[in-house]
Amino acid sequence: MGLLIPLFVWIAMPAVCLASPLPTRSSSDTTEASPQATTPPSADEPSETQDDEEVRKPVEEKVVRATLPAAHTPAKHGDTNGESWIAQRTMVDDYCGWGWVKKDKESWRQARWVALEGTPRTCPLPHTFLPRPVDDKNYQYRFFGTFAPYRAYEPQADMWVDVFILKGFMSLGPAKEEIRRPPPAQASSGVNRFADRAPNLLRP
Amino acid sequence: MRLLPILCGLSLLSLPLQAHDIVLISGGPALRSFEKYKKASHDKYWGNFIDSALARAEELKKDLKADDKIIWLVFRPSYVSRTDEDQQDYLKILEERGFKVGLTPLYFDNKNQLFTLLRRDGSKEKPKICRLEYFGHSNKKCWMFDYSNRVDGGALEPLVVHVDDLAKISGSSFTSDAECVSYGCHSGEEFSQRWRMIVGRPMVGAVGKTDYSDGGMPKLSTGKGGSWVY
Repeated sequence: MGLLIPLFVWIAMPAVCLASPLPTRSSSDTTEASPQATTPPSADEPSETQDDEEVRKPVEEKVVRATLPAAHTPAKHGDTNGESWIAQRTMVDDYCGWGWVKKDKESWRQARWVALEGTPRTCPLPHTFLPRPVDDKNYQYRFFGTFAPYRAYEPQADMWVDVFILKGFMSLGPAKEEIRRPPPAQASSGVNRFADRAPNLLRP
Repeated sequence: MRLLPILCGLSLLSLPLQAHDIVLISGGPALRSFEKYKKASHDKYWGNFIDSALARAEELKKDLKADDKIIWLVFRPSYVSRTDEDQQDYLKILEERGFKVGLTPLYFDNKNQLFTLLRRDGSKEKPKICRLEYFGHSNKKCWMFDYSNRVDGGALEPLVVHVDDLAKISGSSFTSDAECVSYGCHSGEEFSQRWRMIVGRPMVGAVGKTDYSDGGMPKLSTGKGGSWVY
């Protein structure tokens, strides 16, 4: 018996020491999660493109649109006299507005987010010369016109934005870089003091 | 003393029945040049808020009291700009459709004109409103008559009725049992509560979106768990 114990230790120790290490929690997670992490994008990607195609599918509409590429936006259009601003077209999903507008000497940090209103029979919005509204994304213009005395209501973010009334514009070409600053966001009105009065469900 | 109730009864009989107005408001359509490429594209059909209001007018006519009148208020500027875009005279078309139902549109061009049209004193010329129904774009805080028409994806301040504007609508313009309904999206989430508190009459509104795409009266969008509340 005295000899058996050292013999057992002599046989068992290398088996324990040389056994392959148990998988750690992190390594098991990565191996299991990686297929999950990779599969959904591949499953989603086609649906996104399908949606995109579905939205942009040509439909019979009476809207008259030009078919010029972005580079062919008129270099100058409408009334280009008087005070001017530098404007950069910026598109934010589900957000009312055209982009950023600033004075010549100001930095883009000082720019104002505006909703753009054309002047009938004088100057339409620049993107109306293009096949799609997104085609002049990140393009710069010199705008001629004024800020409106009224604001526009942005329904998704529930806020008011400034309105620029466009009388004329000059194309300045693509911007050097995209403006990544988010447009302003604050509630259109104060706290709802009637919020404590919950709506009554209408029973049929 | 015994004659007093008899005299009162006789005087009540001699009074003509008080006439009231039923007001239907049609907001305007968006421009396709703004909406065409959006995922949630609005107003492929120009006449959503016209057809629904007229369908409702036909329903209401069945139970209309003798002296009551249906007044149809239409936000004109959006139909003018959509006319320019589509090269179709929509004002003429909507007037023809109204004529078939026996209604003539009363146009308004901004919210101040609407407030004036809603101001009533109960006289013969300005009878009180016993029912008001709105067909048009809205969110929880606003009725937006010109949504995505003059500016992309929004509405101009003079052309929206925001909850902060509701104090300009007097509760005394309505009868004590007046019923109000907003068939715009999300009105039941805040607008109708504020209407009830400020104007003093309950307004039924939708929690969630409303859908005009099937024609006729709008329905709650399916699959969003929406409901009608007041």
